[in-house]
Amino acid sequence: MCGAAVMTATLLSAGGSQAQSSSYLDFAGLTGELRSLVNGSSNASMRSIGMSRDGREVWLVEVGNTSGTPMSERPAVLVVGNLEGDHVVGSQLALETIRFLLNDPSAASVLSDQVVYVIPRLNPDGAEAMFASVKFDRRGNAFSYDADNDGRFDEDPGEDLNGDGMITLMRVPDPSGEFMVDPDDARLMKRADKAKGETGTHTLYTEGVDSDGDGFLNEDGPGGVDLNRNFQHEYPYYQADAGPHMVSEPETRALMDFMVANRHIGAVLTFGHTDNLVTAPNSSGQLADPSMIDLVSFAAEANSDIYRNGVFGAGGGGGRGFGGGFRFGRGGRTAARGSVLRGAQVGRDNDPQSGRRPEVVVNEQDREYFSAVSEAYREITGISEVGVNRKAEGAFFQVAYYQMGIPSFSTQGWGLPTGEAGDEDAGDDAPDEAAADEAAPSAGGGRGGPGGCGGAGGGSGGGSSDAGIDAKLIGAMDDAGIDAFVAWSTYDHPEFGEVEIGGFMPYVTTNPPADQLPELGRKHGEFVVRLAGMLPRVSIVSTEVTAHGGGVFTVTAEIENTGYLPTSLQHGVVSRAVQATMVQIQVDSESILTGDAKSSRVQRLEGSGSRASFSWVIRGNNGQSVEIFVRSQKGGTDTATVTLR
Amino acid sequence: MTTNIFGRKVLGFAVAALLLTTVIAPANGVEAQQRGSDPEHTLDLTWDRWLDHDEIGERMQLMARTWPQFLSLQSIGTSYGGREMWLMTVNNPATGPEEGKAAMMIEANVHGNEIQGAEVTLYTIWYLMENYGRIDGITKLVDERVFYLLPSVNPDGRDFFLDHTGSGARTGHVPVDSDGDGLFDEDGPNDINGNGIIEQIRKYTPGEGTHRISTLDSRIMERVGPDEVGDWVLLGFEGIDDDGDGRVNEDPIGGYDPNRNYASDWQPNYIQGGSMNYPFELPEARAINDFQMSHPNIAGFQSYHNSGGMILRGPGAAWQGRYPQSDIRVYDELGEFGERILPYYNYLVIWQGLYTVHGGSIDWTNDGLGIISFSNELWNGGQYFNSPLLQTQQQDPRSPINGQRSRYFFDDFLEFGDEYVEWAPFDHPQYGAVEMGGFKKLSGRVNPRFMSMELFHRNMAFTLYHADEMPLMTMGETTVERVDGDVYRVRVDIRNERVIPTITARARENNVVRPDLITVDGNVEIIAAGWVADKNRPGPTQLIDQEELDRIMVRSGHPGRTTKTIEYLVRGRGDMTVTYSALKGGTVSTTVRVR
Repeated sequence: MCGAAVMTATLLSAGGSQAQSSSYLDFAGLTGELRSLVNGSSNASMRSIGMSRDGREVWLVEVGNTSGTPMSERPAVLVVGNLEGDHVVGSQLALETIRFLLNDPSAASVLSDQVVYVIPRLNPDGAEAMFASVKFDRRGNAFSYDADNDGRFDEDPGEDLNGDGMITLMRVPDPSGEFMVDPDDARLMKRADKAKGETGTHTLYTEGVDSDGDGFLNEDGPGGVDLNRNFQHEYPYYQADAGPHMVSEPETRALMDFMVANRHIGAVLTFGHTDNLVTAPNSSGQLADPSMIDLVSFAAEANSDIYRNGVFGAGGGGGRGFGGGFRFGRGGRTAARGSVLRGAQVGRDNDPQSGRRPEVVVNEQDREYFSAVSEAYREITGISEVGVNRKAEGAFFQVAYYQMGIPSFSTQGWGLPTGEAGDEDAGDDAPDEAAADEAAPSAGGGRGGPGGCGGAGGGSGGGSSDAGIDAKLIGAMDDAGIDAFVAWSTYDHPEFGEVEIGGFMPYVTTNPPADQLPELGRKHGEFVVRLAGMLPRVSIVSTEVTAHGGGVFTVTAEIENTGYLPTSLQHGVVSRAVQATMVQIQVDSESILTGDAKSSRVQRLEGSGSRASFSWVIRGNNGQSVEIFVRSQKGGTDTATVTLR
Repeated sequence: MTTNIFGRKVLGFAVAALLLTTVIAPANGVEAQQRGSDPEHTLDLTWDRWLDHDEIGERMQLMARTWPQFLSLQSIGTSYGGREMWLMTVNNPATGPEEGKAAMMIEANVHGNEIQGAEVTLYTIWYLMENYGRIDGITKLVDERVFYLLPSVNPDGRDFFLDHTGSGARTGHVPVDSDGDGLFDEDGPNDINGNGIIEQIRKYTPGEGTHRISTLDSRIMERVGPDEVGDWVLLGFEGIDDDGDGRVNEDPIGGYDPNRNYASDWQPNYIQGGSMNYPFELPEARAINDFQMSHPNIAGFQSYHNSGGMILRGPGAAWQGRYPQSDIRVYDELGEFGERILPYYNYLVIWQGLYTVHGGSIDWTNDGLGIISFSNELWNGGQYFNSPLLQTQQQDPRSPINGQRSRYFFDDFLEFGDEYVEWAPFDHPQYGAVEMGGFKKLSGRVNPRFMSMELFHRNMAFTLYHADEMPLMTMGETTVERVDGDVYRVRVDIRNERVIPTITARARENNVVRPDLITVDGNVEIIAAGWVADKNRPGPTQLIDQEELDRIMVRSGHPGRTTKTIEYLVRGRGDMTVTYSALKGGTVSTTVRVR
């Protein structure tokens, strides 16, 4: 029943801003709902920060009381959802977050002191696929990409052969196949372990035919760039779903431009396929190991040879090597043939080891902040375990921390359904760093070849060599009574003969049943209020003037960070991305006789009431007013006026 | 015609253009050559002064009007400061459309102060056009290839360098808050003495300084040794505290490196200073990338910089690893050849021979676009005194051209003092009594004007050699042999005549260039296809294991200077046309009669 509910693209008819949405919304539905929320409140406005490739607006909703401090001087939180096209739940939670902020009394101080920017659906083109008559887990946007690099674009998508409205998987009997039916659950497949005497019986494919007749199935479907793999931290270069280069897409570029123009954003929350909230970075600063679905990864392997087809000549690899022997067709003109090339000169011969590498783990001094936010998240949402958790390559939230130096979080937004019981073991396994380290490089090798070629989104970015989470996922779905799996049924395939079609339903492994949306939305609204409350908040708490006679005065000012977070995370200092908090006395620099510089800076002021003090000895007139100004990029501004006397 | 018709006045060149139409015919004709002296130029341009952006645009428009059959001028975008990014296409439409021919892209001046590459680029257009139909090598090159020429990637920086004081012109002009005070570009150097030059500031501090005046030449400031004291301190560039924050020149225009904003090995600012926030954030870099990505026929790329006398290739950082061996061989051949064309220039790998660069443009064109790319650092200081005799003298401490003195000598006697400003007292608002003086902006990195011609021509020659070695596909010998009944064996030789492969090994690794395609048209059924190991000896044929034998994909491309023989086993009779299509090597066909 719930699986069916997920499939339904019901528009919300009750437009009132109080009513929560309990169905998934297509672009028109989401836009209408955002409009009605914004129109019904003086504390919100919306605008488009850019257009998708197919011409849909990327909406930004600004939530904050417009009177008082200008938005650009307030500490800000940015919430971004639905970067991956199939993670529609993210946009719904973002929508509900806006609703919560506008309606819940607990959000009042956030509205007056801070600003929350919400971009509910970065990938409207990808999300729209959820509402198509035939569904598959489409992550990408509308960039037309030649995923198999054969000179043809989007020419071999998956097909809904059995007419059930979904593109799932096919298991094809194949004596040379690598996989066998899982003896513990006949719905699942496992890799045959030859060392244990197991024989592979099947090959897995995504559902469909070889539309372009190249011998590969469904290797180049629509859905070009997975926007949450298009950003510039640990970018997965030259992967089929990551775009031609970093920040190549109009949607991702719009988001980066927004970030650059709004450096007062002090925390980021994204909804996506990667988690660092349910499980905080461990004591080494690393995220939990990815957990991916084997069935999807196995099907992606069917196309792992695609880039090797057509490689000829010496060193071509892939077993098709030709051993050279081509004849040179031109001689005489240059001395190259037969002569020995010297190679590039060494010049200065710089040390190849020199130069700093970018950070890839959370700074030691920042980890407790990530842990504290994670704890708050679990406490508020009650989510203790996630299902699919993807490796964060090219993910936006990573850029916000590693490049822009701000606390940044990502969550699926919902937990693995907890049935009656049996989940005690789950919550405990992930954050333990020792276990995580041991688990990493074991058997299995790589998943081989380029992932992400499948029309159904492929198994890109998996990277985990552990067994998949299929059994755990299907067990949890069973326990919760969610219809998540298309039972394997036979089909007479034009190329393979008799096959079976089945597998996890599209969207079900990454989106919760729609009836959970209101409750999940409210909890995430609550979390955003908590997160906003943690932002640094800098003010001038005391000033003092001492007259020394002869027009000479000492002016002292003390600033305090009353927020929880420091004015800059340590990585904000390391990455030089967060500006130092600046305290400035508004007199001519010539009037400053000694003491602090006119513009003084403190790199990082801890939160929870930490203070810093500044003194200037200046020349002035008795009775003169002097302004002192403090500006913290993430913690707001403040001014104080003292009178010299 | 006057020699200096390309001054700043628009009117001037309009008149000149009218005059030109009357001289075109004899200049290209046989008659002129037979006179035995140099033929007259169609456009009598001069090359001994540096052109600002408007002048570059005027000169390009003039050339486009003069040779409309080959040249087309477009703007591929506008700079942050609103200047057009002029790009000239050189193509002979009579030999086919642009996209069917390999293209050489030449750009320059991404760093605003590295100006002379723009003139090299303009000179290249002019030279190709003046000599088309006159020098066979040039005619052939223009007929076989396409050229895309972008003289100034950073026109804002160029004009800032040439038309203003020129200090800090390396950057582009997108505002950056360099000092983190919330204000953008509010405190750069100032020409406070109003002489149009940003000078050095020195202050006399007897017994407390870090520098002293050289006894060899009073213009030279020497740093004192660790146990010595000097009488002078150097206080940086001429300027004041514009924003009253107690610091001088701490937030000048821009403040980034426009050649760190490309998408291969791009790194954030704390790893690679000046990289901006993400690749192609800068409007100029983005415009170039958009152009390059939409022109997959670009097979060669040259980005002119200055200075140091280098022919640079990637990678920019050691931790990117080495290029694949077959690519290195191609680069080595081209680079070492270039060293013979360009005396005083060394062929170097960027990270090893210069310094580490993350996100540089030629790393992106090599790795992300599959283009064989070089960056020449124009002008080597060794060329000031360019004979073995003078270079020996430079080693002699007593010589007036030894060490730092050489620069003053050169300025005194070859530039007649044009590039130096004597130290003079000045009352500075923050520093008090100081002196200001020093070399002008054109000294050092930019070659002396009178040495431009050789620099322009030699660099052009290397780049034209590079262009000539781009892949060039041709069809060779064909054979048809009846096997049995109506089954025939058809063999076709496919050649790449030049050094560069149609697809580099790196491009294949990254899957960034469409595979070459071998297509067959005709009323025959292809039973099998394969590569012949050696057509002169019996031996195996490597079968091509693909589903569509009338559209064979060759992901590995066609190696340089190589002939491969493809063999088809076909059934049927009639004409059979085999077409080899390489995005970076052109499209060629041959038709055989199967019977």
